[in-house]
Amino acid sequence: MEPNESISKLLRLKRYEQPPGDFFEDFLAEFQLRQRAEVIHRPFIKVAWDRLCSVFTPPPIPRLALASSFAVAILAGISIFNWSGSEVDDSNPVNMSLAGGQNIQLGAPQKPANPAKPLTAVEYVLPAEVVSYASKRSF
Amino acid sequence: MLPVMDSPDPTDEQLVRSTQSGDARAFDQLVIRFSPRLYGLIYNMTSSHEDTNDILQEVFAKAYRSIKGFQGKSSFYTWMHSIAVNMAINFLKKRNRRKTMSLDDVDNGILNDPDFIEATSNGDPHREANLSELQKKLNESMMKLSHDHRAVVTMFDIQGMPHAEIAKILKISEGTVRSRLFYAHRQLQNHLQEFIKK
Repeated sequence: MEPNESISKLLRLKRYEQPPGDFFEDFLAEFQLRQRAEVIHRPFIKVAWDRLCSVFTPPPIPRLALASSFAVAILAGISIFNWSGSEVDDSNPVNMSLAGGQNIQLGAPQKPANPAKPLTAVEYVLPAEVVSYASKRSF
Repeated sequence: MLPVMDSPDPTDEQLVRSTQSGDARAFDQLVIRFSPRLYGLIYNMTSSHEDTNDILQEVFAKAYRSIKGFQGKSSFYTWMHSIAVNMAINFLKKRNRRKTMSLDDVDNGILNDPDFIEATSNGDPHREANLSELQKKLNESMMKLSHDHRAVVTMFDIQGMPHAEIAKILKISEGTVRSRLFYAHRQLQNHLQEFIKK
C-alpha cells in the first residue's frame, strides 16, 4: 500500500469525530441570539455608516427593468423637447407707442382683416414710416 | 411562484437571493445547511470544540454582514469555505503556541470501519483503547503541521474535496495544493508510523 494512501485512510477516520448530538440545533439558536444582540448593541457610527451606504447603493434592479425605464426616460425627454421647440410664446405681446401716437404690437400676429381668409403665414405689420424718437420740428 | 422558504428544496443561490432581499429565515436555512461541513473544517484545523463553536459563529456573522456584496462569481459553497478557512487561520495565528486539545465525541461507527480495524489490528482486542490512542495521535500529528498544510490536509483527506475546489477556496494553484499535500503527508507519515501498515 502506498504511504500516501495509508495516511489518507487514517485521516479519513477523523470524520467520525463529531460534536455533541444537539450541537447544531443549539448553534442556530445561539447564532440568532448573537445576531439580535449585535443589532441592538451596534455602535452608532457603524449604524450611521451602513445607512449612508444603503442610501448611495442602488437596490438590485433587474437589468431589463433598468434598461426599459432608461429608454422611457430618453423618449419622454425627446418628446418634451420637440413639443416646447415648436411652440411660439405669444401670450404676452409687447405694446409700444411710437412718437406721433401710433401703436405697434410686437409678439402677436396681426389678425387678418377678413376672418374667412385662411392664414398662410404669420404676418407682423410694422409702420412704413421710419421710426424715430426725435420730435417733429417744422421750420 | 412559491416563495423560496415554501419551496421543497431551495438551492443555495435561491436562499442567497432571498437573504439579500432581507429574508433572515433564508439565511437560517443556509446556516443549517453549511454548519456541519464548516464545523468539520474548522474543528480539524483547531482541534478544539469551544474554539470551533466561536469561530463558526463569527464565520456566519461575517457571511451575513457581507452577503449583499456576494455577486455569485464563485459558488456560495466556495465563498463560505474561504471565509471559514481564513478566519480559522487568523485565529490560529493569534492563538500562537497555545494548544488546547478537546477531542470531540467519536461516532461509534468508527469501530466497524475497515480502515480503523486495519490500523488498530495489532492483536490487541481492546479496540476502544486503541481508538482513543489513535484519535489522540492523529490530532497531535495534525497540530504539528503548519496552518496552510493543515488546511489542505483537512479539505482533501478528511473532507474529500477535489484539488480544484481547494485551489479556488485558498486562491492558489492546483500545483501548490498538490505540493502542500505531498509535504504534509510526508510529515504525517513520520508521526503516524506505528499505525501505517507496511
